Amino acid sequence: MERIFELACAFSELPAVSGQEHIGMERVAELCKGYFDSYEVTSVGSFIGRISCGKAGAKTLLLDAHIDEIGFIVSEICEGGFLKVVNIGGIDPRILPASEVLIYGKKTITGIFTSKPPHLQEKDELEKPMELEDLAIDTGYSKEQLEEIVSIGTPVGYRSPVVRLQNNAIAGKSFDDRICAVSILRALEMLKEKELPVNIAVQFSGGEETGYKGATTASYQIAPDFAICLDVTNAYVPDAPAYRKDIKMGGGPSISFSAQTSRKLTIKAVETAKKNGIPHQLFAEPNHTGTNSGAIQTSRGGVPTVLVSIPLKNMHTANEVVMLSDVYDTSRLICELALSLKEGM
Amino acid sequence: MIERLKKYCGCISPSGCEDEIRELIIQDIQQIATRYEVDRMGNLIAFKKGRKTPDKKVVVSAHMDEVGLMVKYISDEGYIYFDPIGGIDPRVVGGRRVVIGDKRIYGVVASKAIHLQKKKERGMVVPLEEMYIDIGCDDKKSCEEVVSVGDVATFVPNFEEFGDGLIKSKAIDDRFGCALLVELMQEELEYDTYFAFVTCEEVGTDGAKQVAFNLRPDIAIAIEATTAGDVLGAPKSRYACELRKGAVISHIDGSTIYDKKLVEYALATAQENNIKCQLKNVIAGGNDASAYQRTAAGARVLAVSAPTRYIHSASNVVCKDDLFEIKKLVLALLQKGF
Repeated sequence: MERIFELACAFSELPAVSGQEHIGMERVAELCKGYFDSYEVTSVGSFIGRISCGKAGAKTLLLDAHIDEIGFIVSEICEGGFLKVVNIGGIDPRILPASEVLIYGKKTITGIFTSKPPHLQEKDELEKPMELEDLAIDTGYSKEQLEEIVSIGTPVGYRSPVVRLQNNAIAGKSFDDRICAVSILRALEMLKEKELPVNIAVQFSGGEETGYKGATTASYQIAPDFAICLDVTNAYVPDAPAYRKDIKMGGGPSISFSAQTSRKLTIKAVETAKKNGIPHQLFAEPNHTGTNSGAIQTSRGGVPTVLVSIPLKNMHTANEVVMLSDVYDTSRLICELALSLKEGM
Repeated sequence: MIERLKKYCGCISPSGCEDEIRELIIQDIQQIATRYEVDRMGNLIAFKKGRKTPDKKVVVSAHMDEVGLMVKYISDEGYIYFDPIGGIDPRVVGGRRVVIGDKRIYGVVASKAIHLQKKKERGMVVPLEEMYIDIGCDDKKSCEEVVSVGDVATFVPNFEEFGDGLIKSKAIDDRFGCALLVELMQEELEYDTYFAFVTCEEVGTDGAKQVAFNLRPDIAIAIEATTAGDVLGAPKSRYACELRKGAVISHIDGSTIYDKKLVEYALATAQENNIKCQLKNVIAGGNDASAYQRTAAGARVLAVSAPTRYIHSASNVVCKDDLFEIKKLVLALLQKGF
């Protein structure tokens, strides 16, 4: 679990706002050193790593986690050193006032989202919805200084170093979906001494938050025989609908039943979890899963895919919360499922 | 001064729980104060002998407390519900990190997630009573092992310099004042001066009322952080004050009409010494000056403040140069005498 914490800190910090993943790719390659026989970075911002099992005619298992994060891009550089931004992916503007961001310009600088001082607030303001347009980012530079560092289109991400909470929980940014990249690397560590029945290809795909671009193209390139798509899922919190009550923090990975995934591979994943005593939970999402699973499953002539998700709270905020034990159990499930795959689905 | 400010901003000392910051200040002043005492309400009053004893008793005052949260209720699911200590805009609380109690437990303030909101709830500000702190516990019992009803929390310490000479941190309001008072005490002073580090400003200037009653000063100068409205889109007439324009002198704010002669004296002193200074142009906010003005027979009051953006949030923003200008101005006033 300490290893998972270490990896979570490193992956969380990657600067890879959706569409501009290339900024973080060098660091991704560094973090993946020693895990793969070969790797490449694709033209649309995904990282692909391959491990061969050495057997002639072996099938290939794809492990997918997306490496991009939600964030912002600069839309205007304003007087007084303020930046106007637009969102990349789904962001709740209510959590932004007075929060910190990193601006990935020619150099990386700190910014603070503005918050309106009380004396400027109108009487019924709390009754109106908040919009990102009402806010700006305070950089502490003059407009002229700022123009030397950023331009329109410069990516901006949350700033939120990982911290430990009670109970093996951790909080940080971009665990959606970097925590799944961590679970994949940890699974590869578990597989290191084992004899692999299949080749393994890993894609840390870009562009998930903005339309599954990375998974669509990387899956085409890899042409796998089956796939485990790894993403995060909303754990039960107060006021959530009743059907989420069984997605618990600490309950292990959630395995999804969906028309966008392979029922056969899904059942195999559930059985593998049961057989190996790996805590897990079931979730039903019949249509779109809101993950890469659809893009992978429909790649080329079709790729049987199972969707495995790590329970997470506060999705798309600077303080996403996950439990290290859930990440560890996800790694175990990936490891055991990979070892159990002998033939095609 | 900046290193000291950083150290002071790191304390978890909301109103009523000023022990940590007071201990740090005592360590810093015990060698330089002529004498000091902590009164029965927790206020720290230091006296520094000058070359001369003035006719008028002068006190320079800063408050030690900061805004924060207090634990009200722990739910069966292990979530912590809270009330604010002092005035906090709910918009700067959601999604932030806090540190709770003497055990320094980290937590995250959450509320109904965006994907759970109905269409008409989208973007609407959640009231504080519907927010909760998540510390990672999944039941009441495990949560109660580390957190108790009545525990206090503040935003997580995050002091940092950024941009062109700016600082961001929680609690610059009013650890800046505390740091400045200690800096002033290090100087050779012309006149005997009292320095008051008071409690509970954020909940109604309570500490200052007690100090004013016990000390009976003739002149009280409050050193504060005051809200700067110079953010994008705000009209200049509503700025109140601006960063990089120096010390803020108030004619009037939400609770005090200041002593006109003192205000003019401060402005003239700034001009004589080439010190950057600005007048607050909006009637808003309030500080310990109101307590000094109204307690016992009353004192003549002045407020010298640091222009501060996003006050009472996790990231107060000030300009270092403004802080240095304020130090110059207050020191010049003390050396000239009243």
